[in-house]
This record gives sequence, C-alpha cells and structure tokens, in this order.
Amino acid sequence: MKRTTKRLCYLAVLTAVALTIFVIEAQIPLIAPVPGMKLGLANIITVYAMFRLGPRDTLLILVARILLGSMFAGGFSAMLYSLAGGLMCYLAMLFLRRFLKENQIWVAGIVGALFHNVGQVLVAILMVGSWRIAFYLPFLLAVSILTGAFTGLCAQVLNRRLRRISFQG
Amino acid sequence: MKTRTWILLFAALFAALCGGAFALYHGRTAGTVANIYQDGVCILSIDLSAVTGTETYTVTDEDGHENVIEVTDGRIRMVEANCPDQICVDTGWVSSSLKPIVCLPAKLVIQIESDPATEELNLDAVSG
Repeated sequence: MKRTTKRLCYLAVLTAVALTIFVIEAQIPLIAPVPGMKLGLANIITVYAMFRLGPRDTLLILVARILLGSMFAGGFSAMLYSLAGGLMCYLAMLFLRRFLKENQIWVAGIVGALFHNVGQVLVAILMVGSWRIAFYLPFLLAVSILTGAFTGLCAQVLNRRLRRISFQG
Repeated sequence: MKTRTWILLFAALFAALCGGAFALYHGRTAGTVANIYQDGVCILSIDLSAVTGTETYTVTDEDGHENVIEVTDGRIRMVEANCPDQICVDTGWVSSSLKPIVCLPAKLVIQIESDPATEELNLDAVSG
C-alpha cells in the first residue's frame, strides 16, 4: 500500500478505535481472581488490520495503541505486559495469516489470544522473579480460547462489512 | 486446514486446559510451610501447622506497597493490599501447595511448600 493521506487517515482512525476500546475495557472491573484475565477487545482491531492492511500497518497500530493506552490507563508495568503479549500475538498471527481464508479469521483471534497470554505470563515470571505464576497459565489459556474466538469473530465480521473500503487512494 | 478441523482442535485444547486447570485448582499436596517471596526472594517462612489462633503479618516495600497477610488453622490469605486490582485478596484462603497467591503490583508471591525456602531471609521488610 502506498503512503497516501487516505492510508494515514485510516491507520489513525483504526488506532483511535482500538485505543477507545482499550481504555473503556480498562474500566470494566475484573470478575475472575486470576491476574491478567480480560476480554482483549482491542485485539479485534489488530486481527482485522492484520488481514486487511498487512503486517507493517498492523504493527504501527498495535504499538501506537499500547504506548498511548498505557498513558491513558495502566502504567509502565501494564505497558510491559501489553507489549510482550501484543508482540507474541502479532508474531503468531503473522505466521498464521498465510494459511487462513477470510472465513477463518477467528482462528487467528484464538491463536493470537493464546500467545498473548503466554507473553504476559513470561513477563510476569520475569518481573516477579518467580516461576510459580505459571500456575495461572492453564486458566488464562482456557479462557483465552473463548475470548479469542469472540474477538476473532468480531474481526471477521468487521472485515466482511468493511470490504468495500478501498485503500488505493 | 478446514474450518471443522480448527474447531475440533480448539475444542480438544479447551477440554485439556480445563482439565489441567481443574486438577491444579483442586489438587492437594503435602506442605505446611507458607513461603512469602518478594521480588523472587523469600522474605518470610511461616509454618502453618505451628500457628495457633490467628496471626497477621504486614509486608511493605520501597514503592509504598502494603500487603497484610493472615494465617489461621493451616490456611493463609491476603486480607488487605493497597494495590489497584485486589486479585491477591480475591484469591481468598489457600491451603494447597498448587495454588499460589500472587500480587503482581507488589511483586509478592505466597506459596505453600514442604520446607522453608532456603533463600536468605530479609527481616527488615517484615513487621509482624
């Protein structure tokens, strides 16, 4: 995709949408007594961008959302968790996108969510200096299959609905 | 891969993870010593079998985190913490060595083990 004003605008809009979702989601109190468990709704935008715009633009949106999101809600340690999770998720989807059809985008949502959790738990182990936190991994992974399927399906629907938008400017 | 294959794969993985999580959560192993780790270092070991009545411990760190731990009847829990998420408090009572109490903001882990941890004790950080 060429560097056009239209593309820049579209990236900015997607980043703003992801950021809004991220900040609103941060206000929802957690029900489960497991650290790091959340819906991960902002990942809808990441998954969508990965399939519609390509890896480079997705990375821009992802990193911008995490950096800005940590400023608005969260903090430095929250940023480290988000970055590790986000980048693991990104790499997993980067690998998967070549094998998935447009009606299988939800798969990327699940695998992305799984890797996101692995990344976060790895950072938690490093930060706290104790491998015992890995105890929570099965809970987080089981839940992330459900939340990942949901966000992945949302991205798939989004992709179908927004198909008519052209980026060729 | 076909969509049906993916669904089966994730269903199997989900079932396995749920089984694993259930086993971890409800499993019990021998161990009556609660080791409290701050930033990976064991700062306090409490022999739960030797505790009579109820005891509370307060753990603080340089960043202003304060965690109040309560021990009674072979169980341990986080009564109070000034962290924003309160996940450690919501964890509730723990008496199994499989389930740790974790407070990520305070970098605190409470883990029941069979022996006191061998790491050096740093009693400055603890007031009973």
